[in-house]
Amino acid sequence: MMVTITDLSVRRGDFSFGPLDLSISNEVFCVLGPSGSGKSTLLSILAGIVEPDRGEILIGGESVRGRPPETRSTGLVFQDGALFPHLTARENVEYAAEDPDYVRKLTRLLAVDEVLDRRPAMLSGGERQRVALARTLAAGPDVLLLDEPLSSLDEPIRRRLRDDLHRLFATLDVPVVYVTHDQRTATALADRLGILRDGRLEQVDTPTSVLERPNSRFVAEFTGNENVFEVGLETGRCGRVARLGDALLRVTAEGDSIERLLAGVDGSTATVCAHPSRITVLERSDGSVDAVRSVDSEESGRDLRMSADESSFRIPVTIERWLHEGDTYRVFVQVDGGPELTATMSRRTFDRLELARGDERTVSIQTESMHVLDPPTSSRT
Amino acid sequence: MFPTRSSTESVSDRFDWLSVTLLLGGVLLCYYVVPLASLLFARSPHAIAGQLADPAVASAATTSLVTATASAAVATIFGLPLAYWLASADGRTETLVTAVVVLPLVLPPIVSGMVLLTLVGPETFLGEIAAANGVALTRSLVGVVLAQTFVASPFVVVTAKAAFEGVDSNLQYASRSLGKDRLTTLRRITLPLAWPGILAGITLAFARSIGEFGATVMLAYYPRTMPVQIWVSFSTRGLENAFPIAVILVGIAVAALVILTTLGRNPLAS
Repeated sequence: MMVTITDLSVRRGDFSFGPLDLSISNEVFCVLGPSGSGKSTLLSILAGIVEPDRGEILIGGESVRGRPPETRSTGLVFQDGALFPHLTARENVEYAAEDPDYVRKLTRLLAVDEVLDRRPAMLSGGERQRVALARTLAAGPDVLLLDEPLSSLDEPIRRRLRDDLHRLFATLDVPVVYVTHDQRTATALADRLGILRDGRLEQVDTPTSVLERPNSRFVAEFTGNENVFEVGLETGRCGRVARLGDALLRVTAEGDSIERLLAGVDGSTATVCAHPSRITVLERSDGSVDAVRSVDSEESGRDLRMSADESSFRIPVTIERWLHEGDTYRVFVQVDGGPELTATMSRRTFDRLELARGDERTVSIQTESMHVLDPPTSSRT
Repeated sequence: MFPTRSSTESVSDRFDWLSVTLLLGGVLLCYYVVPLASLLFARSPHAIAGQLADPAVASAATTSLVTATASAAVATIFGLPLAYWLASADGRTETLVTAVVVLPLVLPPIVSGMVLLTLVGPETFLGEIAAANGVALTRSLVGVVLAQTFVASPFVVVTAKAAFEGVDSNLQYASRSLGKDRLTTLRRITLPLAWPGILAGITLAFARSIGEFGATVMLAYYPRTMPVQIWVSFSTRGLENAFPIAVILVGIAVAALVILTTLGRNPLAS
């Protein structure tokens, strides 16, 4: 089954959605975007709740434009489940499919067979969403649409249900469109990710590509890549160098050097991002920490350091603070003479590094992990 | 140093606003209950039973019950679709139609009766056609029902509209995305959830019909309903003779409220 969206747009008051072109096959397509970006509008249009002003929607090659929701076979799971409050969980599922065997199979699959005789008000948030999912699947939709079904759940329940959804989606053979503002959920579940901003898709790609090679500052920052910084390009006694704060990296034509990253850059700065997981805080005892010191720069009076290895930036930093985020640590470092960067690391790595606030350390960013965002400016001085 | 509160704030905080609201509300509640209690307890059950034996009173009670039931039914049959449409419509048309629906509520009942006479009176086009087919639109049970429906049906429309609007639209969309058409969704989701509100509207319409006097007396003095009978007793035999019938009317109204409220229990209550 294939969902094909062509030149889709709708305008409601001040909000404008589209134009949008998209094809979704039997995959999990997550739409990630902030509040008001049009995520729910997209689902409403696909489900037939909102009629677009322009464009075409084909499901399985057949146009559904203008058709009412009940004839589209697009199962929609709402943010709050939208369970019918006057019916029990069982009656909710049976509302969509009357075959008791099928209902039993689905409710067992979604682990709600123990709560079927309860009204929705007596179900927990997670149970409500599982029943809602069972109800939607019971109708046998050709396309499954999910509108932030985990957003109202507590973290442990959310994590468990996310795992179950991941397992469930692998068994489905229909297009799944899942909208969320939660980057973790989106990257965990998606085969492909679409970043929506102001009603337009900013980037569509695999989660890894979106995370590591965002095509705009917005995408980078919204997907948790807060390391967006300017890299200066200078030419001095050492030849052409890239500069981040007080760190320099020689631009050579060899291997994975920054030359490849900045190919075509003929100006003086480029906006670059590096995912926090790709920034490594080095141990004090690491022999490669020490870069070549005191190289020439057009800016006098600063103690600059040239990275010894052209394939990675070695940047002197000061440890500012860190956040313990359950299984990972988020460490904020201040680049000497430059921006603040963030590095994420496992608890084991964090313990091994024995970091302290105010520590002067070195971080390493592989040039292959850096990604140029906006087109570099020319002759910006 | 924490900021200190001004003396005005302290006084207003100490002032028990809840007690004031209870006091004001309590006075109004007494204003409802005390006259009713006075009416009920000041008359002997013997006098009331005696009045019930009066054929004119018994006939008026029957007429009122039959016509109020018919009026509530007519108001429901015609009012629910209108309420459903108004609940799902929006914009200026909806506002305009709602204003038209509410109009009979704000018109003096006697004026409503006059308005109706211009439409269904004996000399009118409709009145003559109906009479030619053996149906009298005035001075008949039909006339009573017409008058009661005119003044009571807005209660069904307005209350049911609010009840339909109170049903989460996502529930209706969820039903339709499960393959159920609009009618099935209305029957199995919207109506059950809106039912308490709808029943409240029907109850109000019934109660309003039972007590309707102004429009009814203009359109159908005969057959007499209880309010008309009270007026006749009062004007011909004095207040004392009208009281027992009023007690019966109050009894019917209270019983109707109790029965319909019991039937219309919230479907979400387990």
